[in-house]
Amino acid sequence: MNRWGRARVSLVFGFADLVTAALVVLGVFVGLPARWAPVDVPASVLVALKLASGLSLIARARWAPRMATVGAALALALGLALVTGLALTASWLSGVYGPVGRGGALLLTLVAALALPYLVVLPVVQLVWLREAAPRAA
Amino acid sequence: MSVRVLAWGLGAWVLVCAVACWTVHRTFSLPEGRALPGVVIASLWEKGELVGRAVIARAGDPDGALDASLVSHAAATLVYESVVAEGPVVMHPDAALALSFVAGRDGVMATFDGRTEYVTPDDLLARQAYGKEIQWPAVGLRAGVDVPVLWALLSDRFGVPVYDLSRRVRLCRIRVVRSIPGDPPAPGAAVGVFTNRDVREAAFAAGRFLARGVNAEGHFRYLIDAPTNRTLAGYDWPRHAGATYYLAQVAALSGDAEVGSAALRAAGWMRDHAVTHCGAARCIGSERVVDVGATSLAVVAFVEIARTKLDPTYALVVPALTAFLRDQQRPDGDFMHEYDRESQRPIDIQLIYYTGEAALALSRAHALLGDARDVEAASRALAYLVGPGWSFFGSRYYFGEEHWTCQAMDDLWERSPNPAALDFCLRWHAFGRRVQYAAGDTPYDAEGAYGVGPLVPPQLTPAGSRSEAALATLDVARKAGVDEGELGPLEAQIRRSIAMLLRHQFHPGPRHLLADPAAVEGAMPASEVDWQLRIDFVQHTGGALIRWLGRSSADP
Repeated sequence: MNRWGRARVSLVFGFADLVTAALVVLGVFVGLPARWAPVDVPASVLVALKLASGLSLIARARWAPRMATVGAALALALGLALVTGLALTASWLSGVYGPVGRGGALLLTLVAALALPYLVVLPVVQLVWLREAAPRAA
Repeated sequence: MSVRVLAWGLGAWVLVCAVACWTVHRTFSLPEGRALPGVVIASLWEKGELVGRAVIARAGDPDGALDASLVSHAAATLVYESVVAEGPVVMHPDAALALSFVAGRDGVMATFDGRTEYVTPDDLLARQAYGKEIQWPAVGLRAGVDVPVLWALLSDRFGVPVYDLSRRVRLCRIRVVRSIPGDPPAPGAAVGVFTNRDVREAAFAAGRFLARGVNAEGHFRYLIDAPTNRTLAGYDWPRHAGATYYLAQVAALSGDAEVGSAALRAAGWMRDHAVTHCGAARCIGSERVVDVGATSLAVVAFVEIARTKLDPTYALVVPALTAFLRDQQRPDGDFMHEYDRESQRPIDIQLIYYTGEAALALSRAHALLGDARDVEAASRALAYLVGPGWSFFGSRYYFGEEHWTCQAMDDLWERSPNPAALDFCLRWHAFGRRVQYAAGDTPYDAEGAYGVGPLVPPQLTPAGSRSEAALATLDVARKAGVDEGELGPLEAQIRRSIAMLLRHQFHPGPRHLLADPAAVEGAMPASEVDWQLRIDFVQHTGGALIRWLGRSSADP
């Protein structure tokens, strides 16, 4: 990929990081009804990293790749933890309550589907891109 | 990290996650047969209080202590709760413990220092401990066993402080099946089995329950805690008016003089104490800011009382009230839902239900008194409700709880038919069928109720109010010549809800867990496990039963 292409991809990932930060704020700090440190603290760290990563990628800062790597790695770790937690919770609830009903199944699937693109797929793609881009940038 | 490592890592995660999910599901599910054999918890209940308990091997086995309790509590009810399954619970955090029990079905087996005690579903129901721990008002979620109450019960059973108990006790959940010797089997109003006689009896019992709660002045027992029969705080004019309307309907259908007298007392209280000046017109309310809903439902009640000749003089009160409603109407057909009596100005805000209620009220008033301005205003309101009032991106796929629109459409059909309203109502009920529970969708007795998940036992009133609207829609659809084949699913939907309401009405209800069963006979609880009784629960569910009896294809 040439320099112009990398700049465009960098811009796309930068905006994607900012969108992710906004969605985490919306989901955790607006959507959830109570404050709980085990969720709020990692979410805050993630938001801060994603903001820094997004802005640095858009600005093509020298430290952008490092910041983006840390942000993507944390997002991936938290995303995997979230999806694992949701899947285990759904399994537990279906064990306790039996059938979860069409609505319940739909709701859980939608929540997982909303988390997957931003907190699993995007970080994976970003990590791969950063990995591919790193040697050429060096 | 190389791409290959990342890919392998993700693959491993998917595999581990799947195995973990399967293991968790299997560990916490309750297949019958895994239970302790021969555990039956025999309890003696008197006026909602537990007065004796024994754990026996088989229902009917003798137990000295229990037999002695039976002698000293001759009026007590013996109840067997047979343990049919047992499983683990997650004890931390409290939210997980709270959600480890299916409301109304599961209890607790606790082992502490080699001793075992039980907290049964009846123990928890008697204290109304289900659906309490986790509350998320924004999405209407109330779920989970009340953990402090659970610990208090266990502490009482063991005679050990909660602190000590919580550190060393081992908890399991138990699934029980309840039986009461000598009691007839619970009414199994399965779909298609109930008769119009069952429905009529249930509707009249609901009316008698409401009537018993009207005091000499005309005030309702607005909210009752069924297990203790305590009247709880709170009051509301729209619901007073709605309950009065229901009493008038039952009085007319049943000819029950006591119900008629209660209807007149409740209406009299409203007429004499709540009719007030709102500018040049009259409205219902006692606060500085009054709402359209109270006046609308008062009109509906007064018209019903006059129409059914309970007291024709109530027709005289109606014109001043409908004048207020018309004054509140905006040019687009919607209403300004509040009015400031001090500044004598309408407040142009909108609240759920009130426009539909106003449309129905104006239609009913026109049917009684023939004022053309009323039917014109009602028609405009209906056109707004099914047009601009429900028009946004996605409005074809999502509907709310508003259940007066279709009743107004039905009421107006002969005088001012609105095919767009019929189309709207048919689509709303088609949406409703998507979120109506079928048998086996939840662990509860919920076939015919509405909801979206298994955590919360479904509320019963929405099934009543949606059925009122669905029956109104069915009636109009038949008049409009909609193909019977298309209406079959709608009628089946209503039938499921009516059957469900019959099963859950306190008729007689869980008598052994109630301090005064006779006081709440005929009531409709909020849900299978929430036994607060508010007057509008009966109004809406009873209203559905009455509409069922009056439907155009009513069985003999």
